[in-house]
Amino acid sequence: MKDLKEIASYVLEALKKAGADDAQCTVAHGKAKELNIDGGEISLMRTVIDNSISMKAIKDGKKGNASINQFDEASIDAAARECIEAADAAVVDDAVCIADFTRNAEFDVGSKSGDMDLFFDRITEFLDTVRADYPKVILEQVFSEYSETDTAVMNTNGVYHRLREAGYTLSTMFSSHEGEKATSFNGYEAQFGDLSRPLIDLGMQRALFDQSQKELDASPIGEKFTGKILVAPTYLGELIDTALYKFAGSTELINGTAAWKDKLGQKVADEKLTVSIIPLDERICGGERITDDGYVSENFDMIENGVLKDFGLSEYAARKTGNKRAPSTSSCMAVAPGDKTLDEIIKGIDRALLVCRFSGGEPAVNGDFSGVAKNSFLIENGEIKHAVTETMISGNLEKMLNNVVAISKDTVEDGASVLPYVLFDGITVS
Amino acid sequence: MLNDYISDLIQSGAEHTELRAQQTETVKVALIGGNLVANQSGKAGGVCARVCKNGSWGFASCADYDEDSVKDVLREAKENAAFLDGKLKKGKPALPQTKPFFTAPPAPSPVLPRKVYVDFATELDAYIEKTYPRLSGRKIIVTSEKFEKLLCASNGTKAHTVAPRVYVYVFLSADTKDGDTLELFDVLNGGSGYFPDYFTDPLLYAEKIEKLYRKLIDKTEGVFPEAGVADVILAPSLAGMLAHEAVGHTVEADLVLGGSVAGHMLGKQVASPLVSMVDFAHTAFGSPCPLPVFVDDEGTECEDEILIKDGILVGYMNNLESAKHFGMTPRGNARAFAFNDEPLIRMRNTAVLPGTDKLDDMIASIDDGYYLISTGNGQADTTGEFMFGVTMGYEIKNGKLGKALRDTTISGVAFEMLKTVTMLSDEPEWDSSGYCGKKQPMPVGLGGPAVKCKVTIGGQ
Repeated sequence: MKDLKEIASYVLEALKKAGADDAQCTVAHGKAKELNIDGGEISLMRTVIDNSISMKAIKDGKKGNASINQFDEASIDAAARECIEAADAAVVDDAVCIADFTRNAEFDVGSKSGDMDLFFDRITEFLDTVRADYPKVILEQVFSEYSETDTAVMNTNGVYHRLREAGYTLSTMFSSHEGEKATSFNGYEAQFGDLSRPLIDLGMQRALFDQSQKELDASPIGEKFTGKILVAPTYLGELIDTALYKFAGSTELINGTAAWKDKLGQKVADEKLTVSIIPLDERICGGERITDDGYVSENFDMIENGVLKDFGLSEYAARKTGNKRAPSTSSCMAVAPGDKTLDEIIKGIDRALLVCRFSGGEPAVNGDFSGVAKNSFLIENGEIKHAVTETMISGNLEKMLNNVVAISKDTVEDGASVLPYVLFDGITVS
Repeated sequence: MLNDYISDLIQSGAEHTELRAQQTETVKVALIGGNLVANQSGKAGGVCARVCKNGSWGFASCADYDEDSVKDVLREAKENAAFLDGKLKKGKPALPQTKPFFTAPPAPSPVLPRKVYVDFATELDAYIEKTYPRLSGRKIIVTSEKFEKLLCASNGTKAHTVAPRVYVYVFLSADTKDGDTLELFDVLNGGSGYFPDYFTDPLLYAEKIEKLYRKLIDKTEGVFPEAGVADVILAPSLAGMLAHEAVGHTVEADLVLGGSVAGHMLGKQVASPLVSMVDFAHTAFGSPCPLPVFVDDEGTECEDEILIKDGILVGYMNNLESAKHFGMTPRGNARAFAFNDEPLIRMRNTAVLPGTDKLDDMIASIDDGYYLISTGNGQADTTGEFMFGVTMGYEIKNGKLGKALRDTTISGVAFEMLKTVTMLSDEPEWDSSGYCGKKQPMPVGLGGPAVKCKVTIGGQ
């Protein structure tokens, strides 16, 4: 196989030859090894080798995109012609662009390893530990993957970035069983750089197995109430990500329907809340180094002490809406910790629901949401009492972010985020 | 079309083996607020092999597709199976051999200029902008996919299939008098086939857009439902989601082995005797299913799988391995999405069978409840608990439709909720515009009639 730089150069030439004024491409080659567990047994070993080329062309102020996974010249030439055909069919748009040249960069992220015996041993150890320490837990499905990817980004403005990365992922789906009693399934995913420690110790995995067994004794919440929910890190990232997408994301801003479209630099959340995008943080495993637009990634704050500092926009959305491009297109998030421990927060609660997973309809554009609190627990009189069955929560995400009671000092790292527990008020629990 | 580099390399014998070459082609055109934000095509293909050795599976895939790469992935898949077999020593007997399935070579697919998709979307968008000035936002999304597979399996199957599907989605937004922005979407049309099979003149869809707009305006004046258990009529799109999420996933045999509640319920009454449910392969109610599947990716010919008959759970959906475990017949539910995906147990076209009631009579039978019309998403649990997002609905007061509803969520426990079913309409409908998610995405059809039942509904 040719070097990716040579392939990327050929792609740009093909696009120019087909009629592009400006062109950009991302060329990648990856290999992954994966072990699967089904119903508590190792079932399948996979080897996946794949290529990808995504290309963008601008011709006469109009943009087209095409992607393929073949590196031969005939396939590249055909895709380049298709990309130009797409541009020809498009409408003129002043906001279309390729990345400006600022600086070129090369990155090596993660350490390469091909030791499948050790990988297998770590998975076996994980299975044995679950059987011994959490006998009521059934691992419904587990995927563990080691992957290596080499990526080149190049454009006709002189941009050339190279990223070589390697790392592991563990994704688990599990539930607990006792006779005919069964709990809701729960899931967890963690990224990690090497096999130096047991997989059971990743992030919240042990805590979630422990919780799962306790969920066998779940009971109804009792009377409906409007009040506090304590959101665990396993749900917090999704919650904030949804709010940012709805209120400040590229799609809704371009559509003119984003609730925070006029609120840059203004208070949009409780002043205790600081949300940062941190792909370069040392606690993140294999975080983004090159943005989707072809720039070198940087960490940045989206919300600082409750004030909206950045919309998190793509370059197209930024140009379309008269804002600035986000320094990163990563989803690796950190929420700044508070000043109380989780135990102190729980001890101060009269009644609340600890929400560990949420299964609900997609929130409305204005932030109204409702759904089922899964794998969740009732907190009463300063103690976690019991798991709850079939409990619905509803509220409004925008109001919720302005109704933060406390944020824990404790945070959880899963290789893709660093998140605390957050206590919100004003939620209907039924 | 895919060349055949695989059939000479497949051998019948004790080790179950599959070789699959695949090419997936996609087109996506999206307009948001009149801006062409997506105008892209994709082609991804390659070859994969999967081998079972004494109960341990090995899989390998690569993007190159020629004689050498086929040999490479077959060797790698065998090595992966041998690696696990050496470690695990499961010693399981060979899998059952299903009868081979053959297809004739597919007809060449039409190639459509990109301009056709872009022009349709921009003309539709311009019509909506001009006709409905009250709207605060609009999105048009056109998607086209084509899955071409060449499959050879050790049971002798040799099948070359092409499965295209195409859809146009329209999202409209309007503000309430309090300034809240609400959105409603609908699938304009689509299903199995190519773009010109469904879409020529955007103005042919004016009536459908008008209905969507009217519902959205109703929604801007809508109310939140009262949280709690309620009598409801689920429109066919929600009944289809019920069939798929609430029941379908719990009776996928891999999830049964993982501890699904259905593991304890085979042969038991799990629903009202009015309820029957089938995972159809390719033909239902005398017509082709929305996404027909004739052979699965293990090489098994597809047949209908009856899941619930007259309220009794009678079947699971299986692959070869789970069918052997449960002593059931495999009926072609092992499906893979991309060339680098292994087959998993998946639904095809899952539906609640229709009853004999009329929708108007069903609504008239409720004094205080809700008529729930549209859903955006749904999730299931292996306990049978389910939830659907409800994006459009109306109150029912004294047998008549009342105020529209704001976005909400319904939930329940499938095998309890299905026992509350008291009426089923006589007109089933299908939806096939979404994906099912389970490690890999998968196009599926879901259908059913209107259903009268009790569910938990979220409020404020």
